[in-house]
Amino acid sequence: MRNLERRYRTLLRVLPRWYREDREEEMVGIFLAGRGDDLDLEHGWPGWGETGAVLGLAVRTHLAAGAGLTGVPVGAMWRGEVVRALGVIGLLLGVLGVGVSLAGMVYEAGHPELPGRDAVVVVVDLLPAVAFAALLAGKRTLAKSVAFAAAVPGLLAFGPQVGSWLMWQLPALVTFAALCLGFHREAPTPPAGRLAWWGGGALVLGLAGWVVPAAFVVVAALVVLRVVAFVRGDFVLGRALSLFAVLELGPVALLLAGGVRWWVVLVPAVLLVVSAVAPVRKPGFA
Amino acid sequence: MSEQTFLVLTALAEEPLHGYAIVQAVEQLSEGRMALRVGTLYGVLDRLVADGLAERDREEVHQGRLRRYYRLTDSGVRALQAEVARLSANVRAASAVLRARGLQPWASRA
Repeated sequence: MRNLERRYRTLLRVLPRWYREDREEEMVGIFLAGRGDDLDLEHGWPGWGETGAVLGLAVRTHLAAGAGLTGVPVGAMWRGEVVRALGVIGLLLGVLGVGVSLAGMVYEAGHPELPGRDAVVVVVDLLPAVAFAALLAGKRTLAKSVAFAAAVPGLLAFGPQVGSWLMWQLPALVTFAALCLGFHREAPTPPAGRLAWWGGGALVLGLAGWVVPAAFVVVAALVVLRVVAFVRGDFVLGRALSLFAVLELGPVALLLAGGVRWWVVLVPAVLLVVSAVAPVRKPGFA
Repeated sequence: MSEQTFLVLTALAEEPLHGYAIVQAVEQLSEGRMALRVGTLYGVLDRLVADGLAERDREEVHQGRLRRYYRLTDSGVRALQAEVARLSANVRAASAVLRARGLQPWASRA
């Protein structure tokens, strides 16, 4: 085997094994068909464009959508659905934040002595709702772009306290990555009607987040949904919430730094750990 | 339908082709504008097969390398016809607008 072929085969290892077993020989044949020069076969490398395209294919196959491919193992389909659910949960978290901001704006409007918000801040605060609506409308590129714009202030808040910043930002960063990776070209658009209700619920919970710390509201909602997912045997939602519970441990722990008593923080922390490790029921994948 | 999908369907409409032949055909059909990457090609083929627009035809071994051929299904032919009709209607509409402004629909290339 020549070096170039070895390098292409190494590149193809980013693809899942089930896909490689079916396609590797065929793909290597195409890669090498246009590269017959002896020097190239010995010293050549896969181009950046080819590498990028294979990486894109790897994301789509590892996080497979049931309708987008044939012969997909059940595990790959589940993985894809869980990542997409985690991406949607991230957007719902953003919508909840919009509720908190709206409640704050209403309060400030009734108290003229308080300093008003800058127009840019108001727009940025509302962006998660736009991203969520865009995803429901099937405009996934727009949804990702707006979600990124909404995440920029958090990213720019990077400072000397890296640990605290990471703990606070991790849920937003990971769920944004899940949104980008999970909603690839072949992924289905989530059911708009059902998710609109979820978005409305998150907005209402956000309004409640003005009264009690939003982190507590998030934990309470997470625990309730986790129980519902278990009872209904919803593996995808259950697993996505487990992952999200792990991510939320950071923001809850940071409440300690905010002066909240340790025993008040202990309760949501324990609930998050239980949500993370609690079993999920795995029915047959429809 | 993306331009990539449209060109792959067009390439397969003539005869069953293997992967490398599809890449070459797409480059010719697009007059060199579109160089289909292998990862992209398989993304398109996977989608076409999953949607029932194309299917695997036969396999051959050429110079020790596997060549798998793909062909268009009847649904694929109908999808291509529908897309051609849609694009043709767009072209006619755009041409009429340009003629109304006294312009030639097809500008000569520099």
